Amino acid sequence: MEFLWRVVTDALEALRAFGPAIRDVLGLTLEVSGIATVIGVVIGVPLGVALGAGRFRGRGALTVAVNTGMGMPPVLAGLVLLLFLWNEGPLGAWGLLFTPAAMIAAQALLAIPIAAGVTAGAVRGLAPDAVEQVRALGMGAFGRGVVLGREAWPGVVAAAAAAFGRVVSEVGAVLVVGGNIAGETRVLTTAIVQESRQANFGTALALGVILMVIAVVVNGVLTWLQFREAR
Amino acid sequence: MTAIDVRDLRHDGRGLRLEIGAFSVPEGGRVVLFGPNGAGKTTLLRLLAGTLGGGFAVPAAYLPQRPYLFRGRASRNLHLGLDPAGRLRADALAARLGVGGLGDRPARALSGGERQRIALARVLARPEDIVLLDEPLTALDAADRAVVGRVVAEALADRTAVIVTHDRDDAVMLADTMAVMVAGRIRQMGPVRDVLGLPVDDAVAAVLGVSNAHAGRTIGTDGALVEVDLGGATVWGVGDATGDAVALFGAETVTVYAGRQGTAGSARNRWVGTVGVVRELGRLVEIVVDAAFPVVVVLTPGSVDALGIQVGTVVTVAVKATAVRVVSR
Repeated sequence: MEFLWRVVTDALEALRAFGPAIRDVLGLTLEVSGIATVIGVVIGVPLGVALGAGRFRGRGALTVAVNTGMGMPPVLAGLVLLLFLWNEGPLGAWGLLFTPAAMIAAQALLAIPIAAGVTAGAVRGLAPDAVEQVRALGMGAFGRGVVLGREAWPGVVAAAAAAFGRVVSEVGAVLVVGGNIAGETRVLTTAIVQESRQANFGTALALGVILMVIAVVVNGVLTWLQFREAR
Repeated sequence: MTAIDVRDLRHDGRGLRLEIGAFSVPEGGRVVLFGPNGAGKTTLLRLLAGTLGGGFAVPAAYLPQRPYLFRGRASRNLHLGLDPAGRLRADALAARLGVGGLGDRPARALSGGERQRIALARVLARPEDIVLLDEPLTALDAADRAVVGRVVAEALADRTAVIVTHDRDDAVMLADTMAVMVAGRIRQMGPVRDVLGLPVDDAVAAVLGVSNAHAGRTIGTDGALVEVDLGGATVWGVGDATGDAVALFGAETVTVYAGRQGTAGSARNRWVGTVGVVRELGRLVEIVVDAAFPVVVVLTPGSVDALGIQVGTVVTVAVKATAVRVVSR
């Protein structure tokens, strides 16, 4: 018990001090996961609406790809991107390896299928009458997608929440392509791994608490958006 | 000019095979698709609207069977998919349909009739010359039907329309041509009054609500009247059929007398028989009299009591020759 008590007091001390190291890690986490989520939503939600209500060739194959992508291990996504960004890889000349940009790209790869899959499910759950009606409005594919996406609004918000939750909590992808370099590519999850390994349990727990607070705040905002009737 | 010209349409739906050899509507024509549930009316309309694929789509404004209002205010729904001029038309139509003041209300809070009228204003405001309406007046109560029906009829003037309904009054009010569908096929198509008055066969007659349809052969004429031998009995009716023919008359046109009445009244058609079936139909009673052929009659419960009608009662049934249509077949 004494050990756990000491860890908790250390954690509270680290939170109270809230030093520059923690601040940098928190800032980079929000930046990387936030941008990755936005990319995931911008690409994934329209894709999901198309998969949920569209009629086009290859829809079945794309749905399988998205559903598989929803369960892709982050470390594998990181590995694939690593191979592309490696010095001798196809995109090696871009010099992105071990930068925040590479981490954003890796997390976006994870966010897109989640956003698409959850959105597609929500759109599929709309009344068939809604889909019949939207086809009767004489709009183009883009306009139809906007109307249906808006109708499935709570599902789209859930898609954003799921995408953010997935990327902010993953370790594998950012670790492989980011390298966990202190002050440069270290985020909350990789920092927790690092501090745990060095037996700095108080700091590790403090970082964990911050991660949970982010999750609660972000999901609180998204839930509020879900309950609010779309104008 | 032909606005809609569909040929050799085949469509396999769930439990229904639609086969339309030819369906064409001239520019400015207004056709009502009439028929029982499951006849394929909605499927044909959806194929024309293009929401079911199939390659038979025409450029048209389309009101689905269950119009859907999306999240947000009524006004957003009223204006969805319309250009600025169309929105003005939609506002004007909404006002005439009695839903002009509902713009700020959430669409989800509207009643069924209000939703239907918003959806009607939205579809009638569309710029297309062809209009496809699936049961436009069904969700409305009787008092609103006439008003809304007039606005719809006016909005359809100079346009080509295909309208699904199973209400005879709606058909007369909204359309000039009637196509009767039974089991995935168009069985008869022509001017509304001709179809209603002269069903082409007993299946169409059943759809249109003519309860008595009996096949026989014409055996003579008397002025405008034709006499048809039904095998054991004859019936006089109106028509210019010769040879094989069907005599059609509504159950409500038949008069019933207690016992054997040989001479009462002026009706030329008169048969004696026993009551075989007595069935309550809501507030009316349907009886079937086994004369030389079964005659279906609709009576009020009061008449049934006054005549002492029950199964086995001997009665005389009579129908005026002018109430009987004799159609070639």
